[in-house]
Amino acid sequence: MTTTRDPETTPDRHPIGDPGAPGPATASRGAVVARLLSFRNISAIYIFIAIFVVFAIWTPQTFLTAGVWRTLLDAQSVTALAAIAALIPLVTGSFNLAVGAEVAFAGILTAWLLARADLPVTVSVPLALLAGALIGLVSGLLITKVKIDSFIATLGMSSILLAGVAWVSGSQQILDLGQGLNELATTSLLGVTLPVYILFAVAIVSWYVLERTPVGRRMYATGFNPDGARLAGVNIARMQIGSLVAGGVVAALAGVLLTSRINTGDPTVGPSLLLPALTAVFLGSTQFRGGRFNVWGTVLAVYVLAAGIKGLQLVGAPSWINALFNGVALLLAVGLSRWERTGRRAGAIRRVTSRRAAAVGRAGR
Amino acid sequence: MQTRQLLLRVEGIVKAFPGLMALDGVSLDVRSGEVVAVVGHNGSGKSTLVKVLAGIYQQDAGTVALETMAGQTAELHFIHQDLGLVPALSAVENLNLVQASSGALAPLRTKGETRRARSLLSRFGQQFDVHAKVSELTPAQRAIVAIARALEGWAGPHNVLVLDEPTEALHKNEVDILFSAVRSVAGDGAGVIFISHRLDEVLDLADRVVVLRDGVKVADERAQDLDHGRLVELVTGSALSEQREHVRRERGADAVLRIRGLRGAVVDGLDLDLRPGETVGVAGVLGSGREEVPSLVFGADGGTSAEYLLHGRPYERRSAAASIRNGLAFVAGDRARFGSVPQLNARENITLPRLGAHRSRMGAISIRRERAEAARLAAVFDVKPARTEQRFGLFSGGNQQKIVMAKWLRNTPSVLLLEEPTQGVDIGAKAAIYAAVDGASAAGAAVLVCSSDAKELVRLCDRVLVLREGRVAAELSGDELTERRLVLEGYGLVDEQAVPHPSI
Repeated sequence: MTTTRDPETTPDRHPIGDPGAPGPATASRGAVVARLLSFRNISAIYIFIAIFVVFAIWTPQTFLTAGVWRTLLDAQSVTALAAIAALIPLVTGSFNLAVGAEVAFAGILTAWLLARADLPVTVSVPLALLAGALIGLVSGLLITKVKIDSFIATLGMSSILLAGVAWVSGSQQILDLGQGLNELATTSLLGVTLPVYILFAVAIVSWYVLERTPVGRRMYATGFNPDGARLAGVNIARMQIGSLVAGGVVAALAGVLLTSRINTGDPTVGPSLLLPALTAVFLGSTQFRGGRFNVWGTVLAVYVLAAGIKGLQLVGAPSWINALFNGVALLLAVGLSRWERTGRRAGAIRRVTSRRAAAVGRAGR
Repeated sequence: MQTRQLLLRVEGIVKAFPGLMALDGVSLDVRSGEVVAVVGHNGSGKSTLVKVLAGIYQQDAGTVALETMAGQTAELHFIHQDLGLVPALSAVENLNLVQASSGALAPLRTKGETRRARSLLSRFGQQFDVHAKVSELTPAQRAIVAIARALEGWAGPHNVLVLDEPTEALHKNEVDILFSAVRSVAGDGAGVIFISHRLDEVLDLADRVVVLRDGVKVADERAQDLDHGRLVELVTGSALSEQREHVRRERGADAVLRIRGLRGAVVDGLDLDLRPGETVGVAGVLGSGREEVPSLVFGADGGTSAEYLLHGRPYERRSAAASIRNGLAFVAGDRARFGSVPQLNARENITLPRLGAHRSRMGAISIRRERAEAARLAAVFDVKPARTEQRFGLFSGGNQQKIVMAKWLRNTPSVLLLEEPTQGVDIGAKAAIYAAVDGASAAGAAVLVCSSDAKELVRLCDRVLVLREGRVAAELSGDELTERRLVLEGYGLVDEQAVPHPSI
């Protein structure tokens, strides 16, 4: 998908026509810190602070309680995992619109294996993760071998998976899962539940692979320019398939945790995660890494959005405010980074052309 | 001819880009009924001139003035190389896009339109189905539809039509059809500017020939006063200095790369031997298969060969990755699309083909060591600014190419394949890139250069294969390897020019 590597959405750190801007070789420490703390680099953190201050003043008795934050952290861990599952293929340039359906499928499958097939948790959960990997593999093969556009391939996969969910569950909730699975979600350590730790473990591994290893470098290269990456020796099909498999496993993990939290196989929850997950990925790409899709931006975006929505709920806003808040935040963040960029570029071009015209004028004399 | 009314007066156009004077005081007159050919090599300033005329570029100095004739101010109309037609629509529909015969939502007057289309097209003496999709027409018929469309809605006949390399895709007999159409337009009183780099055809068509070289107008002469030999000299500017700067080097006896019967889309049975330290050029006009050769050898775009020996062993090209591991390096002509990942920074581009070099514990890349190497290479290849953390796409063309050279020469390849290595590159960067190529060759790499720039091939190569229609038409080396010979052989003009032009 070309949308994912649109250079226009990618704020650059060293604009053209700004030769005075210090490069990393010459930059003073102060300039580096200033750039790192600049609004455009970490706007979500400033927005988070703003949200925190507003609601802390507005409704301190509820917003400032530890329980609210603990629930927020726990409840959003599934969304954040779904967002990482969408992020990994996007790095290689593949949309995964099946993320929500993958979550739902793995969740229902886990419930079915526990309740209907009477398998223990230690078998059910790995099987669900394996199913996620297989689904990712099929999507990856459809995209790379059958050459179906990722948007269409994963849309089709999503529909097929939802059919599978309805079939397995009979469109009913699956109950009586026993206690084993539920412990996964309810166990807590230092006041924080296990899913949060799982999320951060997945985030750290994803970050490490994407940003620190040759594989990650090749994945970004594939996403930005598949032709150029291929001619530089990158096996782009392997990168795309691998990213969809990894994304499938992470989505399945989210599905397992979802089922574990509500201790029920619910066929309706997973699909609704797609939009918030994608929103967080795109919002996150405006953070930290100058326009690249990245793990920490994504995780941060999930929690900033959730904090805003939580605050609004606490002051009594109607429930449709969630979707409205998500949409407005995404459009504002991406729109602002683009607007700032075009403004700066126009300024840079003006400076260059006026300088050149002056030079030509001198040469003409 | 001299008494004809002036339609367009272009005076002293100057257009500069960073590090490059694209047009340096170019003037040009076009009169009613006249066909003016503008010729020159790639980078001579032809396309910049068209873009200034079309208003795509704003000139830094100079004026473009349209004159009034018979109460009508002349207008400029353009036909660009891609013709700008909608392939899925018919000739009638394409003609209608400019000026619909009815209101935006009113029903189309099909009959009247068909009649009008037929009458417009019949002026050019071509009969074809005006309802067929444009994509099903021959290239010449398509060009005529484009001309007819450009003529649509002219208030009078006295306008200026600019054709930008319209014969690129045409066969010889189709070129004749197009030429008669162009003459008929001029016969009605229009002025025509015909941009081309095909020297063989402009003398047939044009009344006057303007030659551009390095952004300067070097000739503006009547076509009848010119012959092919003189035109080649004007275009290449090589009559006076045929001196070769190339230094011959000792080279190994055994070929590092031996290919027999290489075939691709156009290339048809090419034999190639590359020895260590040897630089071999591939020349030929556009469409000769020249531009295909490096990627075919690299194995990036399929292609077959009867025999392919690398270091004396058969090698089956399966992927770019395998070719790189086997010591091949390919500098692609289209830098933004094939030669780089513009959104990554310079450092990340340089190390991409071989990321294992800086692997530290736990499979991570040691960014510190990677930065140090990128900085060292940026200094060696004179990348400016030497900011390796800057995004690749933000460097100038010349510096992008230096980064690409750094990226490939870092691997010390045994075979270096270059496609248009100095396209869109300023003079200073050109020298740096030539130095890099010479350096690789001195280090024992076998180099293959495919280029449309004859001067470049003479500068870099020990010998040059000239392709015509996918086959080797000539092999030039030693004293025979001159710009003039390269251009003549490329067009197949040697036989017509049995007596060589007297050199000064």
